[in-house]
Amino acid sequence: MNFDFGPDQYMFQDSVRGFLADRWSTARLRELMTGDGFDSTLWQGLAEIGLPAILVPEVHGGLGLGFVDLALVLEECGRALVPGPLVETMLSADALARFGTPAQQSALLPAIAEGRCRVVPAVTEAEGGCDPELMQTTATKNPGGWTLSGRKILVAYAGLADRLLVSARFGPSGQAGLVLVDPNATGVTRRPHALFDVAARADEVVFDAVQVTAADVLGGEPSTAALHRLLDAGAAASALQMTGIAARMLDLAVEYAGQRVQFGRPIGAFQAIKHRCADMMVLVETSRTAAYYAAWALSSGPDEVAQAVSMAKAYCGDAARNVCNETIQIHGGIGFAWELDLHLYLRRAKSLEYAYGDATAHRERVLTAALLARGKAA
Amino acid sequence: MDFTYSAEEDRFRQDARTWIRANLPAGWGLTVHESEDERERYMFRLEWEKQLYAGGWAGLAWPREYGGRGATLVEQAILAEELASAGAPEGLNIIGRNLTAPTLIHHGTEAQRLRFLPPILSCEEVWCQGFSEPNAGSDLASVRTTAVRDGDHFVVNGQKTWTSFAHYAQWCFMLVRTDPAAPKHKGISFLLVDMRTPGITVRPLRQISGESEFNETFFDNVRVPVENLVGGLNEGWKIAMTTLAHERGPEDALGRQIRFKRELGVMLDVASSQRRGNRAAVDDSALRQKLATSVIEIELMRLNCLRSFSKMIQGKQLGPESSFQKLYWSHVAQRMYETGMETLGPTAPLAAGDPAVPGAGMFQTSFLQSRAFTIYSGTSEIQRNIIAERVLGLPKSP
Repeated sequence: MNFDFGPDQYMFQDSVRGFLADRWSTARLRELMTGDGFDSTLWQGLAEIGLPAILVPEVHGGLGLGFVDLALVLEECGRALVPGPLVETMLSADALARFGTPAQQSALLPAIAEGRCRVVPAVTEAEGGCDPELMQTTATKNPGGWTLSGRKILVAYAGLADRLLVSARFGPSGQAGLVLVDPNATGVTRRPHALFDVAARADEVVFDAVQVTAADVLGGEPSTAALHRLLDAGAAASALQMTGIAARMLDLAVEYAGQRVQFGRPIGAFQAIKHRCADMMVLVETSRTAAYYAAWALSSGPDEVAQAVSMAKAYCGDAARNVCNETIQIHGGIGFAWELDLHLYLRRAKSLEYAYGDATAHRERVLTAALLARGKAA
Repeated sequence: MDFTYSAEEDRFRQDARTWIRANLPAGWGLTVHESEDERERYMFRLEWEKQLYAGGWAGLAWPREYGGRGATLVEQAILAEELASAGAPEGLNIIGRNLTAPTLIHHGTEAQRLRFLPPILSCEEVWCQGFSEPNAGSDLASVRTTAVRDGDHFVVNGQKTWTSFAHYAQWCFMLVRTDPAAPKHKGISFLLVDMRTPGITVRPLRQISGESEFNETFFDNVRVPVENLVGGLNEGWKIAMTTLAHERGPEDALGRQIRFKRELGVMLDVASSQRRGNRAAVDDSALRQKLATSVIEIELMRLNCLRSFSKMIQGKQLGPESSFQKLYWSHVAQRMYETGMETLGPTAPLAAGDPAVPGAGMFQTSFLQSRAFTIYSGTSEIQRNIIAERVLGLPKSP
């Protein structure tokens, strides 16, 4: 029994934090508000320190580490507002490593590990979010493979992706699964979104009778388990990033409260302010607890995944929102100013709150499981 | 990171479970419950603790020379889990075991440890805590009870309040003012007082739950031998902080979590069986969200404890961060018991004893008891001050 990271994991976190402090800043992020929103130098650098390789097995040139080794790295990515499609590509690497066919793995994983290939999930729809039960994208069997039709929203950096990992219902049974699609294939159209997270990029992608072969289906056959894994990993990755954002916002709140003087003293000396900060610390620490546990479950606790991930997504989403809101409140007027970075964190956290299922959906999942466990399914 | 237990630890858990089952009264928790009569209930708890001691389950992780078993912290946590999941009685000497003992292990002399620790384990001596006073609640450092040196004794005069279990205790550790001229934190000492000394009067106070666990305690020229001073003269505040860190820490919270979780389980059952018009209470989506919130928050309480616990296993001392545990669980538990009342819906205003009350009135009693969670062992406001000033480094309040 040990709920702590090891020295190697803390060392990796330090090196990522150090790298980002040297090579990345919110000032640079603001520059990405125009143009294609992509910083190729940063991407290259992150690939050099091994981030996209973390979940890639060693046999494919990766580091062969698990989700628990990724936890602190993802927290740092949230903390520094690292832009996509890094985390998205890591999630695809996880799905490929676990469910891909040998051909899919050797075609994509070595390139991902080297930072030469970006694969982003396309799993969210405007009506049903990413609930597999509500998914409307379909793949219909034809002699050459499958015909894919549907519409996905919020596909991160689709214009820069080498492959999209698309969720769909396959065949007459409607079995859910994932399929790899070339974003430049015939029948695929993209429309860049106007986004709440102003420095990010994502597209609506329409699949209009797109032809794919069996070799494009992740694992060869439609795999519901692969889709669930991707959704759980995505929810946990969101929770970890929101935790990093909340931790950063708490630091900013404490720093400001310690230096801003009103009524002749730093406002952090007033209990109205310091008590908010203490409550935020509880939210941040408990977010860590929840998000780290979810990361562990994705690595080594298969029976715990559903509950651990949903707990984390629900708790960290509410916590990050609260901490961001409070940090802006503590800053007063300047907190509402565009020039301050606070809204960048708020916008990212708020977007992650809805990614891979919102808190309400995840609470419902937790309760259904808890009632089942008591032998009293609702 | 590893949430599995070793084969040895699993065996330990099995042994503990078997022993507990064999030693609790037959039908415990089903047909046999703790007595409604308070004195009987407390005496039963004391007997249970003595039974635990006789079975070799007391003071597991304490050093052997003080009567412990030298077991690991993990084994101690396993035992706490097993006791709580069996619904075993809590014991009466909680303060002695959880507060006096770690305080003496850190700050006591060897003679004090040898004198006081073994009878805590055997429960020959039950302890109470003399910190709060009528005018020293959140402002604990303004205690006015005085101790004046007279030869080889201190003479203690004053009044303590909210003294849990004082009417059953043989000993009390207390904060006393030994230097009225010094700044308030620097004139306090930590004394061990025999409750059988002439001059002590204990008067039970009734709580909002109807129970009388706590008391007001009066000290009138009570003579305490100087060897019962813990640490140096006027160094009591620092020692009190150790005591409070343990009162607020993960060891305390782990056992509570399992009790909360058990009651939450009953809450889910009641939500499933209670009808609301033509459907079950649990079919209401607003109530579902609240129940789910509690399921999540109570589980995270356990995981928060395990995270701190892992730091303790690595040898890190408990410090001001333990305020975070207490601040977290106290509010989470209050929210859970409010949801409990909401689960009962129209029957919430009934109370124990009414045949129509679901859960035998447990929810109403627990709801009332939960109001104390954010007050005792330091109010939430004090925990927030500690976190803000000592963990986050914000400036002191005026």
